[in-house]
Amino acid sequence: MQLNYDYIVVGSGATGAIAAHSLVEEGVIVALLDVGVEDETYKQIIPSKDFISIRKEESDQHRYFLGKNYEGIPWESTKVGSQLTPPRNFLTQLTDKLISFESDSFKPMESMAKGGLGGGWGLGCYVFSNPELQAIGLHEAEMKKAYEAVASHIGVSGTRDDGAPYCLGDLQNIMPVSDLEQNLSGVYSSYNNQKKSLNKKGVFLGRSALALLTEDKDTRSAVQYKDMDFWSDKDQSAYRSWMTIEQLDKKTNFVYHKNCLVLKFREHENGIDVIVKRTDTNEEQIFSCKKLILSPGVLGTARIVIRSFEYKKEQLPVICNPYCYIPCIQWRMLGKEIEQKKTSLGQLVLYLDENKNNYDVGMAALFSYRSLLLFKLIKETPLNFSDARIIMQYLQSSFTIAGIHHPEKGSDTKFIRMKKDAGAYTGDVLTGQYILSDQEISTNSLREKKIKSALRTLGCQPLKTVHTPHGGSIHYAGTLPFNDRGDEYTIYPNGKLAGTKNVFVADGSGFNYLPAKGLTFTLMANAYNVAKNVLKND
Amino acid sequence: MHPRLMEKNNNHIFEAEQIGLYLLSGSIQETEKKIYADAMQKLNISFSEYEQLLWNKMLKNKWNMACIDAALAVQEPSNPVRRKLFTMLAILEASPNYTSYFLSRKFSIFYLFKIGIIGFRAILRALVGIFIVNTIKRKCN
Ligand SMILES: Cc1cc2nc3c(=O)[nH]c(=O)nc-3n(C[C@H](O)[C@H](O)[C@H](O)COP(=O)(O)OP(=O)(O)OC[C@H]3O[C@@H](n4cnc5c(N)ncnc54)[C@H](O)[C@@H]3O)c2cc1C
Repeated sequence: MQLNYDYIVVGSGATGAIAAHSLVEEGVIVALLDVGVEDETYKQIIPSKDFISIRKEESDQHRYFLGKNYEGIPWESTKVGSQLTPPRNFLTQLTDKLISFESDSFKPMESMAKGGLGGGWGLGCYVFSNPELQAIGLHEAEMKKAYEAVASHIGVSGTRDDGAPYCLGDLQNIMPVSDLEQNLSGVYSSYNNQKKSLNKKGVFLGRSALALLTEDKDTRSAVQYKDMDFWSDKDQSAYRSWMTIEQLDKKTNFVYHKNCLVLKFREHENGIDVIVKRTDTNEEQIFSCKKLILSPGVLGTARIVIRSFEYKKEQLPVICNPYCYIPCIQWRMLGKEIEQKKTSLGQLVLYLDENKNNYDVGMAALFSYRSLLLFKLIKETPLNFSDARIIMQYLQSSFTIAGIHHPEKGSDTKFIRMKKDAGAYTGDVLTGQYILSDQEISTNSLREKKIKSALRTLGCQPLKTVHTPHGGSIHYAGTLPFNDRGDEYTIYPNGKLAGTKNVFVADGSGFNYLPAKGLTFTLMANAYNVAKNVLKND
Repeated sequence: MHPRLMEKNNNHIFEAEQIGLYLLSGSIQETEKKIYADAMQKLNISFSEYEQLLWNKMLKNKWNMACIDAALAVQEPSNPVRRKLFTMLAILEASPNYTSYFLSRKFSIFYLFKIGIIGFRAILRALVGIFIVNTIKRKCN
């Protein structure tokens, strides 16, 4: 059976959800095609209590903390994605089977879930500065409106402190900032006492802007500081993209088709055919539409576009922020008890902006450590487990972890390539290479040194620097770079895919540059604009 | 239950007791022993001849277990015998019966001395352990 719609959106992640929402709000009929894996196991069994009460009272807690098959007890050396807890494992389910990726130097995380990677994101929102938007290829004035619209849909909390120019910009639509936990309070007050000298070195610290409600909004509740952020979404205070899809599902002009893996599209005079492989029956199905909006994530879009253009070009550029994390000991927190009501989200961000122009800024999000459980930390020590437990229990309250992202541009040594493979589910496999130049490595390591020195000034003694494999930042972009010449395998600034009449791309495929700051809020704002442009193009 | 499975299960319960004694210096409850047995069935951790000899030695008493674990933590942190200990550690943490061993609490400043002594003990255990592990390695070669 061939299904016919005016608008089809592919993918229900952060970008697909916002694009679909913007179209549905305008009253047009929209179908969303998605693989749509959901958590069938854990949602129902995690109680609506705070972390400490669960730990002290719930005899069944091992089921979700460790996982039904003990998959939450990681033993192999950490692969990208192992930070996901068992209740979040569904985010990466089926990816190996349906969309395998092969590479020694690039290990991206992809999702086939309803709501995409946005089902587990850290909620960090950043309004990009004008120089950053220009470098990406986005229009500043249009983005400003889009940021406001997205903030009002998802709910963003934050405050106007020294971090505001880097995360809030001129954003008006904000909720009050969340209560700062004790571990990070010490760092914040230390910064406020020493900010003159730190600012001189280009170091700025501020409260993060988070897609976390601090006031009730529609059916979602304000954060209750249960410290279960990595395990459950019971009160829905954290924005997850599937919430938008569930909201849209109630509308009569929206249809959600799950189990649909889009393979390619074919544009013809009367519209577009979208060729799908159903993941429940493994059969092909064709959907038709007048306009197609691709938002299956940057690598997903690359696969669909390469196939649709008949493999004319098999290699595309890619950009991904280099990422490392640094566990630190914060002396002033030694021997303290961690408060019961808190959140484990990164509530503080340190920015390194040596040129003070809000461009090529390095950033470190700061986290405390508790709800991911102590045994994972114990494993990292070179001590026997019994003694390490005693020592780590003592040190636990004093751990502050800095997650550093570097800004990133593309180059010839960073690419993905499609390879035909008859044994693969889709008949092809994406491969890739990600190699930094010596110059990039030394710039990044100098930036890390400066951030470590700032951390020391703030009372956090770095213990080691752990570099994750490329792909570990989970920020991807730049496969079909924006340009207005209409070259093959590029995207026009309004989101239209060059070489097509009615195919648009709403994810980060066009971004020519990745600031260190998280890209997702900007991805969503761009998706909002692309949806508006699709309608304008009618 | 099939007799072979029963025997395996009993072995796992015995292992759980020994590991519990080592990790928390006390006997642990039936619930956690059962969870450990279930985990071992599902994880199906297998040993080479050398690892089996290490494991047999570790099960003899908690001092052996501590010393061998300490040596392996330095020399072979991913040795599968440690995976068994690590699994039990995770099970104990995710149990309401043992939260006081894992959750943060207020410690007096003097506790730092205890931490120093524990660190020193860990080094001693590793030294003794390295001797035991090397002896077992030599036997295998
Ligand atoms: C643990 C974690 C923490 C993060 N923290 C932050 C943060 O704090 N700040 C930040 O800015 N970013 C963060 N991110 C990154 C953020 O989640 C991603 O940038 C964002 O979700 C990407 O959205 P997307 O819509 O482009 O793609 P995705 O989220 O990958 O969604 C893709 C969607 O498309 C569907 N799909 C894919 N291929 C096909 C196909 N062929 N056919 C049909 N459907 C398909 C999938 O089912 C999925 O629904 C984090 C990510 C993770 C995992």
